[in-house]
Amino acid sequence: MALTYDQLAAGFEFPPGIFKLEAVRVTHFLRSVGDTSQVYQGSGLVPPMAIAAMAMTKLSETVGLPPGSIHTSQELSFSGMTRLDDTLTSYAKISRAQKRGKFHMIAVDFDVRDQSQKTVLTGKTSFMLPQAGEL
Amino acid sequence: MPGTLTLSQLSEGMELPGLTKSVTQLDINLYAEAGGDHNPVHLDNEFAVKAGHGGTVAHGMLILAYISQMMTGAFGANWLQAGRLDVRFKAAARPGDTITVSGKVAKLVKANGQTTVTCSVQCVNPKGETVITGEAQVIVTET
Repeated sequence: MALTYDQLAAGFEFPPGIFKLEAVRVTHFLRSVGDTSQVYQGSGLVPPMAIAAMAMTKLSETVGLPPGSIHTSQELSFSGMTRLDDTLTSYAKISRAQKRGKFHMIAVDFDVRDQSQKTVLTGKTSFMLPQAGEL
Repeated sequence: MPGTLTLSQLSEGMELPGLTKSVTQLDINLYAEAGGDHNPVHLDNEFAVKAGHGGTVAHGMLILAYISQMMTGAFGANWLQAGRLDVRFKAAARPGDTITVSGKVAKLVKANGQTTVTCSVQCVNPKGETVITGEAQVIVTET
């Protein structure tokens, strides 16, 4: 799904993104960040930052960020523990979009819910995108 | 949870146990597999150079995960259940960088049997540049 910058207006809602907390991906995450925290050992618990990473990837499947894009800031709130094999759904909406010189600034609010529709993660991510064009 | 801080151990101004992390291209590749972010600026050195980044850079969220790991070490399950992060990405982290992750208790607010702990947090690269800076907050209940 290709979008133009003009379509990225405040209020734009992304299609919901569904993803499963597969053990192999969580293991890759823990290895990649070198996290050996005891709380994850044999408990089936999933690091909230792994969920944030997967949720943001769902966003980028709709809006592919062009080279030169800068992830400027990130807010995250964790509101519940998740476990391996949980299926989550991310919902996201553009809360701010503005042009500043050659750059476009966008802020996306998102929340992630588990299979019982309980919110487990909320956040706001802000990007600075270079030049106008197709995403 | 063993190793985590108790309320009686916390005071404003105290440093959290920090971390030192080495960033490798293998870590970045694994992170891309885990999260599904295969942007070539993280994975393809030639592409990253042409794009003006001077070489591959780590995902900002990978480096942010280091801060979350530090908070997990300090606050255990409380962090997973009720943690908050509000940060800015200030500089890139690259393969070969050693990142110093640190945090300090800025404020303790007790109310309704819970304590809200606000910490300043940051990641610094070997040049002394701040890669990430911001605030982490967690609600701690004494068990």
